[in-house]
Amino acid sequence: MSRQVSALVERAQARYAKLQRQRRDPRYRRVLGRFVAAGLLSTNDETVPQRGAIRLADALWAGEVEPRILELLPALLIKKPSFFEDRTALPDDLARVVRALRRGEVPAEFRGIPGADLARWLPRLGRSGAAPSRLRCFRFSAEESRLLSQLSRELDTTEVAVLRRALRELGAALLQDRGQAKPA
Amino acid sequence: MLLEIAERLETFVVERNLEARSEGLLALRPCVIKLLGQTALLEAKVPLTLAATKDVDVYADYEFAVEQEFRRLLATKGRELDSLGSEVWMPAETTYQPLFVGHYVRLLIADVESVLVSKGLKAARKNRPLLTEYLARGPSERFLKLAQEYRLDLEQFL
Repeated sequence: MSRQVSALVERAQARYAKLQRQRRDPRYRRVLGRFVAAGLLSTNDETVPQRGAIRLADALWAGEVEPRILELLPALLIKKPSFFEDRTALPDDLARVVRALRRGEVPAEFRGIPGADLARWLPRLGRSGAAPSRLRCFRFSAEESRLLSQLSRELDTTEVAVLRRALRELGAALLQDRGQAKPA
Repeated sequence: MLLEIAERLETFVVERNLEARSEGLLALRPCVIKLLGQTALLEAKVPLTLAATKDVDVYADYEFAVEQEFRRLLATKGRELDSLGSEVWMPAETTYQPLFVGHYVRLLIADVESVLVSKGLKAARKNRPLLTEYLARGPSERFLKLAQEYRLDLEQFL
């Protein structure tokens, strides 16, 4: 191993030692246990599933150790508020994100998590699981309308599902053409 | 978990194709599903501390009916097929190891180093603890080579 790589590993080990200490902290164990018990996260780390509300401050702290907690947090505050003991006094940055999500907007980045990653959880949490959809009206020619009905029959799905799939696939193809990629 | 799902998906395709043949309809094509992201790392049982959301990212060439069944099978395990999975960036050098090889369904997992480089480049902040742990455990030559090739700044994880 080159000297440069050895130095890199040594520095990473120092940081990892801190990370391990944080992962043993009861706040982290409790928050992770609650997220796992709720089926929001899965982990290969040892966890004791937790029930009941958790402290928002603990979740924010644990989110610095496991950022996926921060990714889910704003949508959880809206869709499952009882998840948290204290949800009235939100830090300013979190309050801004929650406000944006409530308005159906993509919020700004929250503590390193891109706004788009925060927004995509909103329709996927909570009892209904339904995406907040909006009514849009379009006119189709007779030929287009026939094609839509035919595709719907062929794919054994609804016409709106055909349109959604076509839109997704077109979007994905265009984004790929432009070299834009979804974050890992 | 994904192995069991792949087996059930294979059974689904076999049954659908038997039906289709007896009715003179088109059979479903064989497909390849490549697992990416956290799911790939979890399935590869890497010695790293991992936490994953319910999203499952894949590259796949399956037909719509197979995708729908795959989605349904994942949902029975509390997982969700990420509709944007096909947009995940992976290095061109990524290799895929078979997890399940059936007659119609092949389930592969992306190699660990490529997944980590993808994560480091595309979502560094979110994957910082993971990359820190990986570097602390001693990165492989291949990872370092890929990181250099794709100009992944490793300093940000220290």
